[in-house]
Amino acid sequence: MREIDHSLPGDTLEHLDEMTCMLYVERQLDRTRGQEISQHVQGCSQCRTLLRAMERESRLLTRAMLEEEEPLPSRLAQFQDRARRSMQWIWGVALGLAATGVYALYTSYVEPWQSQLDQAGFGGSNLLSLLIFQGAFWKGWQSVITLLEVLAILTLAGFGLAFFRRRSRRGSAFALVLAGFCVIAALVPPAASASVTRKGNFVEVKEDEHIKGDVFLFGERVRVNGTVDGDVFVFSTDATVSGHVTGDVIAFAQSLHVSGEIDGNIRSFNNNLTITGTVTRNLLIFDETLNLDSAGKVGGSVTSFTKSLNLDGNVGRDLLLFGEHIGIAGSVGGGIQARGRTLSISSGAQVHGPISFTGDEPPEVSSQARLASPVDFHRAEHKPRYTEGSVYVWQVIWAAAFILFGLVLFNLMPGFCREAVANAERYGASGGLGVLVLFGIPIAAIIACVTVVGLFIGVSTLFIWFECLHFAQIVVGTLVGQWLLGRTSHVWPLIGRMAVGIVVVRICTNIPFAGPWIKFFVIVWGFGAIALAVYRRLEPSSGAAAVVPSQPLMPPLPPTTTVGGAQLA
Amino acid sequence: MKLREKLIQYDQTRSFSAWLYKVAANHCWDMLRRRKIRQDKETDDLENVPLEHPDPNQLDRLIEQKTSEEVRHALDKLGARARMALVMRYYSDMSYDEIADALGVRRAFVGVVLLRARHELRQALGATGALAAGGAS
Repeated sequence: MREIDHSLPGDTLEHLDEMTCMLYVERQLDRTRGQEISQHVQGCSQCRTLLRAMERESRLLTRAMLEEEEPLPSRLAQFQDRARRSMQWIWGVALGLAATGVYALYTSYVEPWQSQLDQAGFGGSNLLSLLIFQGAFWKGWQSVITLLEVLAILTLAGFGLAFFRRRSRRGSAFALVLAGFCVIAALVPPAASASVTRKGNFVEVKEDEHIKGDVFLFGERVRVNGTVDGDVFVFSTDATVSGHVTGDVIAFAQSLHVSGEIDGNIRSFNNNLTITGTVTRNLLIFDETLNLDSAGKVGGSVTSFTKSLNLDGNVGRDLLLFGEHIGIAGSVGGGIQARGRTLSISSGAQVHGPISFTGDEPPEVSSQARLASPVDFHRAEHKPRYTEGSVYVWQVIWAAAFILFGLVLFNLMPGFCREAVANAERYGASGGLGVLVLFGIPIAAIIACVTVVGLFIGVSTLFIWFECLHFAQIVVGTLVGQWLLGRTSHVWPLIGRMAVGIVVVRICTNIPFAGPWIKFFVIVWGFGAIALAVYRRLEPSSGAAAVVPSQPLMPPLPPTTTVGGAQLA
Repeated sequence: MKLREKLIQYDQTRSFSAWLYKVAANHCWDMLRRRKIRQDKETDDLENVPLEHPDPNQLDRLIEQKTSEEVRHALDKLGARARMALVMRYYSDMSYDEIADALGVRRAFVGVVLLRARHELRQALGATGALAAGGAS
């Protein structure tokens, strides 16, 4: 490039003129002039400021023009052209990867959990029947629903919906979903209609009482001394079941003591659970402490997520235990799989199956304990997971699963997805609303669950909320993709940007230390954007508002006021 | 149509985008000339127009405050020549030689054109008075 001949006023520069600054910034001066100016600005703050301002002005101009009409830098544009030409290959690879991901998810997570849950006595020949048709989803949604399972199910459901949507008129797929929900909703009330609900400070099923049907008990103190021919649902601070329950006991209590006879299962979320009675089938426990007294007996298996667990009684089948301190002193008919900090097996213990323990410290095993085989101990490794190669493989599979999920969503509801992505650019509104919705919805849903009538709504809301955690990441990923590759309003290019963006977001959320925080902010941000899109859909149209004359009870807002992220005209 | 006619004149050893801009620019100038509204477009005029020197601090603050969207709005208000010069330089990343070629001015005056365009832009951004108030010589 030819250098421009633009001389400075002299060696003893007072201040640089604007033209010189601009030419210097744009590298249009020869080397000698450039050095003179460099030297001058080192000692002259005013000229330094001017240079900086002009440099920033150049950048601002470039940015402003590049942002306007998706003009990619030429290298990117060329790459995009090449990518467009080989799009079929890219999608082939992406879908192949995603299919591999789904298969890997199924074999690595869904199948083992299914067999585990089968073994734990939840019955059912497959996961869907476990979740939906056997009612476990509705009354026992605490049974483990992993994120991956949900993703896999939703992906399948999404493909199904897309298939129906393509073959039928617009909206019929949604009608189908709605009808499905209605059918499920219709199936729930008959069970509830035969139920008995009792509320109060002290709630009791008296000793001489015999209730046929399910019982819902809400109270500070709950006592079940009589016989219940059905399931018992307990929401209480202090609960005792000393009677006979032919069905399951599902409890949300601070303290639960079971001294009676339960023919079914116990599924509980408690602080303390003590069992001195008999449970014919299985335990699924999320507690702080679990004590199975020496007089206590569990006919089936125990699946427990507890901090401290003492097992002095008898268990007929296997144990699957996750806890800090695990103590076994009773009899176990099957094997034990445990993961925690410590495991101690006392002298009175009898274990008829293999024992596997993964923990921080070697297990303490009494020499008098009668074990079918020695404990297979694996020391829990706390090395950074980043050193394991499998982590990266799983990250790729995760990213593929997210892309697949996004693909389904973008095809099912393109308009809504576009709105959500556009809303994500309203950073303040999205962030604020995101915090509110992220924490507000679960609280509201749990309150709805506690009021029995709202159980269906509460559980459904929680389910949707849970899915939105992933949708939020997809929304933000799409926005990031747009930042990188430019804006577009077409669905397939948008999906392409979504794929690129999700990869970037997944990389960022896996950065050591900062990653979890990034993920949190991404979720809050995306959640807010989704909530804004929902709000826009639900808000009444201006035409409808005009019909109602007595609407504004408060003084009108000034024109620049922001309401729900939208500036009033 | 015009482009097709001119295509045979394209020199393959030179940048296509620069050539394209030149054709487009010449076409625009022709149209403007026909309407007899092309004034002070020659470099002699530019050379003689003094530019107000901005106050560095105020300019810095102005640039900091403005968003891309505001700049785009301001660009819309600029004259054709100024906008074209800015687009060629900061969007198309054309060299001074290419810009000179496209605008039909001497290379030495490309800087003047660009600086004038920047001044127009600042004026459109609504800060002329403030920027011209101070400054160094």
